[in-house]
Amino acid sequence: MSKIDDTRKGDTSNEQLFTLKKWNAVAVWSWDVECDTCAICRVQVMDACLRCQADNKQDGCVVVWGECNHSFHNCCMSLWVEQNNRCPLCQKEWVIQGTGK
Amino acid sequence: MSGESLENDPPTLDRSKNGITLRGVQSPIGAKPGSAKKLTIKNFRAKPTLPENYEKETWRKLQEAVSAIHRSSFIRYSLEELYKAVENLCSHKIAKNLYSQLKEVCESHIKQQVHIFDDDVDGEAFLRRLDQLWQDHCQQTIMIRCIFLVLDRTYVLQNSMLPSLWDLGLDLFRENVLNLEHVRDRSLGGLLQLIKRERHGDTINRTLLRNLLSMFSDLQIYHSLFEKRFLIETEQMYAEEGRAKKNELEVHDYLLHTEKRIAEERDLCLSCMDSSTLPLLITRVEEQLIAEHTESLLSKGFSYLVVENRTDDLKRFYKLLSAVKDGTKSLCAHFNKHVKNVASSIVLDTAADNSMVQDLLDLKEKLDHIVEICFEKDPKFVESLREAFESSVNRRQNKPAELIAKYVDQKMKSGNKEATESELDRTLDRIMLLFRFIHGKDIFEAFYKKDLAKRLLVGKSASVDAEKSMLSKLKQECGGMFTSKLEGMFKDMSHSKELLSQYRQHQANKPDMESCGVEMTVNILTMGYWPTYTPLEVRLPTYMVQLQESFRKFYLSKHSGRKLTFQSTLGHCVLKSKFKNGNKELQVSLFQTLVLLLFNEGDSFSFPEISDATAISEAELKRTLQSLACGKARVLTKVPKGKDVAVTDRFEFNASFKHKLIRIKINQIQLKETVEENVDTTERVFQDRQYQIDAAIVRIMKMRKTLSHQLLMSELYKQLKFPLKPTDIKKRIESLIDRDYMERDTDNTTQYHYVA
Ligand SMILES: [Zn+2]
Ligand SMILES: [Zn+2]
Ligand SMILES: [Zn+2]
Repeated sequence: MSKIDDTRKGDTSNEQLFTLKKWNAVAVWSWDVECDTCAICRVQVMDACLRCQADNKQDGCVVVWGECNHSFHNCCMSLWVEQNNRCPLCQKEWVIQGTGK
Repeated sequence: MSGESLENDPPTLDRSKNGITLRGVQSPIGAKPGSAKKLTIKNFRAKPTLPENYEKETWRKLQEAVSAIHRSSFIRYSLEELYKAVENLCSHKIAKNLYSQLKEVCESHIKQQVHIFDDDVDGEAFLRRLDQLWQDHCQQTIMIRCIFLVLDRTYVLQNSMLPSLWDLGLDLFRENVLNLEHVRDRSLGGLLQLIKRERHGDTINRTLLRNLLSMFSDLQIYHSLFEKRFLIETEQMYAEEGRAKKNELEVHDYLLHTEKRIAEERDLCLSCMDSSTLPLLITRVEEQLIAEHTESLLSKGFSYLVVENRTDDLKRFYKLLSAVKDGTKSLCAHFNKHVKNVASSIVLDTAADNSMVQDLLDLKEKLDHIVEICFEKDPKFVESLREAFESSVNRRQNKPAELIAKYVDQKMKSGNKEATESELDRTLDRIMLLFRFIHGKDIFEAFYKKDLAKRLLVGKSASVDAEKSMLSKLKQECGGMFTSKLEGMFKDMSHSKELLSQYRQHQANKPDMESCGVEMTVNILTMGYWPTYTPLEVRLPTYMVQLQESFRKFYLSKHSGRKLTFQSTLGHCVLKSKFKNGNKELQVSLFQTLVLLLFNEGDSFSFPEISDATAISEAELKRTLQSLACGKARVLTKVPKGKDVAVTDRFEFNASFKHKLIRIKINQIQLKETVEENVDTTERVFQDRQYQIDAAIVRIMKMRKTLSHQLLMSELYKQLKFPLKPTDIKKRIESLIDRDYMERDTDNTTQYHYVA
């Protein structure tokens, strides 16, 4: 890391008027998706899909990304591909790029 | 006072012989009276003859004795002699004559007595005379019956149409005394007058009253003659009294008066009258004093009694009204109306929003107490109170829910030291009573969540136990779905802690990061669990950016597919600072930190310079600078001086800053939650409702598989914690059918099936 030109740096030296001692930061995590809503169940991907909500299994419901970069609830997509192995949004063949964790 | 006590045989009777041994004997003297009937039949065969003038002589003797009894003078013959004489006459079939002769003598005696009523003496004097005559008559009849006992037990027994000697006495008395119009009217009038005086407060001769009423009973004219008139008079008197007192007395005094009246009447009746009169009498009094005036008494004084918390009076009111038809029903209606008036005025008073929740809690507590203490926890009243509160609290949309959430926040904040844990828990229980009435429970949840977020992120919660306890109360009331996101917030807090310790270990292996000397903590919030925050981009010093990025890299290595957005508005810091008068530790927000760190580079900056360096938005920066230069702890100096910050102002480091504490918290000046912000929160809640409906429908259908529209609706009303419009639900059902979560039955369109 570069420290050279940062005059505002919190330093252990006693020269500074203000030294940052503690920083309590807050960050919000969300799925890294282009569209907030799952096109299959029409629930926001940050929420559990409809069926998982019905079962009160919110925690295990993750997002799946296809090669086409479209994303859905993994549960919703698993049911979808049983009938049609294409992305519901772009009709390309569905190939999983990754799942959320 | 009846003839029953005379069933015993006269003491002189020889009981050693029985009827069998006496058969054929001339005189059946000494026959056992109890077996007289049998004896007589057997004696028919051998009829002994009597001396010619025996009957005449004997009757003369008996008549003389009867006259002596009537005169209350000495009887020349022994009772045994007379008894035996009667026995002899009876055994010789002269009983019929004897009976009618005796009747004649007694009747003429009574007829001679009534002259004592010839003068126009009235009232109590008359009653006393009548009482005396009656007492004498009874005495005399007893003695006569004693002598004529055999007549009673043979002849009268065989002739069922004939009254016994005792009854004959009663008949004669009734016919010859009470049936005289002037006697009857005066006795009834006198009795009623006596009762009137007692009711008026005089002390009357109750013995006289009791004796005469008992005479009426014996003569079997109590109900027809006395009771009927008495009840009519009672009704008239209390009708009049009720009308007068109702206007004259306060309700409180009227109730006391009525209670006293009922007790007095009960006492009088029990001591002087036939007990069968009691319920009739009390009903008349209650009808006239209470039933007739229920509505006007309630309208006149009920609200006042509740407002003033007059529990004794309310208890009395309830008790008295319980006695009359529909009394407590009217009371309950007024109670309901009163509660609605008071509670609605609390809820609708927009100028007093600050005290709404406390006022409602106080009101609820007071009314609960009244229902318990005064209305015997009558289920009708319990339900009525609940209904009145529910409808009042929901007279205003959303605001009560918001204020209840705020109220909980005040109680849960660490500043609130006034209560012990158990007191706090009791307070929370009371709040839940109010919460239960709220129709839009999700509105509560949204505002509650905002405050909870602040408490958790700033570490301002008074007690983790209390937070958990509140959460479990909400869960119990509304179910797990309702609290799942709130619980998610607590989970995020503990996950963040775990993650942070992992991060620290990870950092320990990279010594070059150590040199920053900054202790960084990060709370990771799951989007959706927490309130929605608008991210504000700001410019951080490079080393802070590096800290942030280092953490982000670590986080994303643990979780794939995620993105992390730092919320600058929620960050806060501790700054070590050097002033001429000593070193301080400032607890400040991230924005305050960014501004202060700038003063490491120079002593004086203009507003635009600070704005450029930090990239904090103008409004935020104004508030930040105001807190640092115009608040209680002024670590910066504003030029020119003043309370408000303008973009033309300059700011200088206040080297001579003084403060008695080492650790100083400089509060960011909080924007009052604007109306728009609250509208925003409620808007979001409304939008969220359609997801809630969808999830609930799928949940119900998945469990039930097949369900009629009607049952589905009623399940939804049960499960969802906000007001529902049937049209909205129909739309959601159509949408779910479109999305293949459910389908209509092909034969029955009001039936749905779950699609797995
Ligand atoms: Zn989905
Ligand atoms: Zn799912
Ligand atoms: Zn696609």
